[in-house]
Amino acid sequence: MRVKQTVGAGAIVILLGMTGSGLTGCANLGVKPWERDLLAEPGMEIDPDVIITALDEHIYFSKEASTGGLGTAGGGCGCN
Amino acid sequence: MGACGLLGLAGSTAEATEVNTAILGYTEPGRVSAFEAIVNGNHQFDSGKSLNFRLVFDALTGASANGATPASFTQTFTRPSGRGSYRTAPGDTPLDDTFRDTRGAGSVGLTMPVNRVTNFSVGLYGSGEYDYVSLGGNLALTRDFNQRNTTIALRGAFFHDTINPEGGRPVPFSAMPDEGTQKAKLPGNGTKQTMDLGLGLTQVFNRRTVVHFNYTYSHVTDYQTDPFKLLSVVDPVTGDPRAADAYLYEGRPDARDKHVLFGRLVRHLGRDIVHLSYRFFRDDWGVRSHTVDLTYRWNFGDRKFFKPHLRYYNQTAADFYHRYLVDGEALPGHASADYRLGDMYTVTYGLTHGRIVGDDHELTVRVEYYAQMGESHPADAIGNLRNYDLFPTVNALIMQVGYSFNLFQ
Repeated sequence: MRVKQTVGAGAIVILLGMTGSGLTGCANLGVKPWERDLLAEPGMEIDPDVIITALDEHIYFSKEASTGGLGTAGGGCGCN
Repeated sequence: MGACGLLGLAGSTAEATEVNTAILGYTEPGRVSAFEAIVNGNHQFDSGKSLNFRLVFDALTGASANGATPASFTQTFTRPSGRGSYRTAPGDTPLDDTFRDTRGAGSVGLTMPVNRVTNFSVGLYGSGEYDYVSLGGNLALTRDFNQRNTTIALRGAFFHDTINPEGGRPVPFSAMPDEGTQKAKLPGNGTKQTMDLGLGLTQVFNRRTVVHFNYTYSHVTDYQTDPFKLLSVVDPVTGDPRAADAYLYEGRPDARDKHVLFGRLVRHLGRDIVHLSYRFFRDDWGVRSHTVDLTYRWNFGDRKFFKPHLRYYNQTAADFYHRYLVDGEALPGHASADYRLGDMYTVTYGLTHGRIVGDDHELTVRVEYYAQMGESHPADAIGNLRNYDLFPTVNALIMQVGYSFNLFQ
């Protein structure tokens, strides 16, 4: 179980760490409208492929006890 | 909707329709096979409104673990309909090969600007299969702050499901009847209500970095038992099923509260793009889970990419998960031997290839491998059960072809 908790804690540390020093400089968060070139590139969306997300959520819903995350947990199916 | 829309990154209100389609094949050798087709459309109106629709069709066939344990002799199980039976060889995991189902689902959603920085969305959802109907609706309100670098979203959804399983809904803990005999049934159809409430935050950190956090609370009430799953009642010495009434139908609580915390980092690395996500899930059934998901979009110019994918998931068992019941011991209030409620971890490895074809159409091909591992040999297994694999690894292969294009640009 300790290994599992370490995996979770590690992911949080990486998530926070990769955001760089931005967390300590909240006043400077964000970009000007003309600085959105990279953010507008294909693949930079939070959910870059809604189809894959929908299909995967259906698979994991029917194989695991956890649901939801990116959106609401959603409706059911009689998945066996 | 991706963050681009939420954060005003797309920036354009020109009329356009984006259509995404895909077909997917899913196969677990010796168990379930599924085919799924999906079409997703998003039309952007000049007015700033957008309309989203989605159609899904899937077909499922094959065998699924019925919950019973392996035994030292051939076991015979009555099919859920009460007509016919199937047999499991000594030492094998009992699999019910009855499952054949097709499902159609559709949803439509409309997003409307309330003012320059606020959007309101409303949506409807419906799905139907032979023994299950789900109807639902959702509302969402999003607001941009800080020159559209910050977006906060409030979401709510409600679903009403109706379950009318083949052979009826068995009374929890009633015995599986012999072939041709009726089981003890609960009256009428089962229903299930789901209410979701969500709060999301999306923040642009700098030119290369966006983060997204989501908290979702989900309250589920009414019938949540799997009417097809059994529990073996085993002899306390041999571990084999007892002589009479050896298999009981499972029973789950009729209420469940779930909490989901989700975080995702999107980072542009100059050429490539990385998505790193973490999800924590807990519910009052005793399930706790951690999910880590990583994709790396490896761009080759503007027209081609490879995207490796890695996912790791683990969960603790539900409080009422019992791999089997022991003859002579008192029955618990609720019990299920459904492997999906047991201690387990899963891994997914995958690779997606995408390329632009023709006039800005995108073709993607995805192959993924999924494996699910659990407690194969519990330390407290009884008698002969020590010799059997009580949680066989489930392997699955997922293959998908997708095609996306724009209309009316």
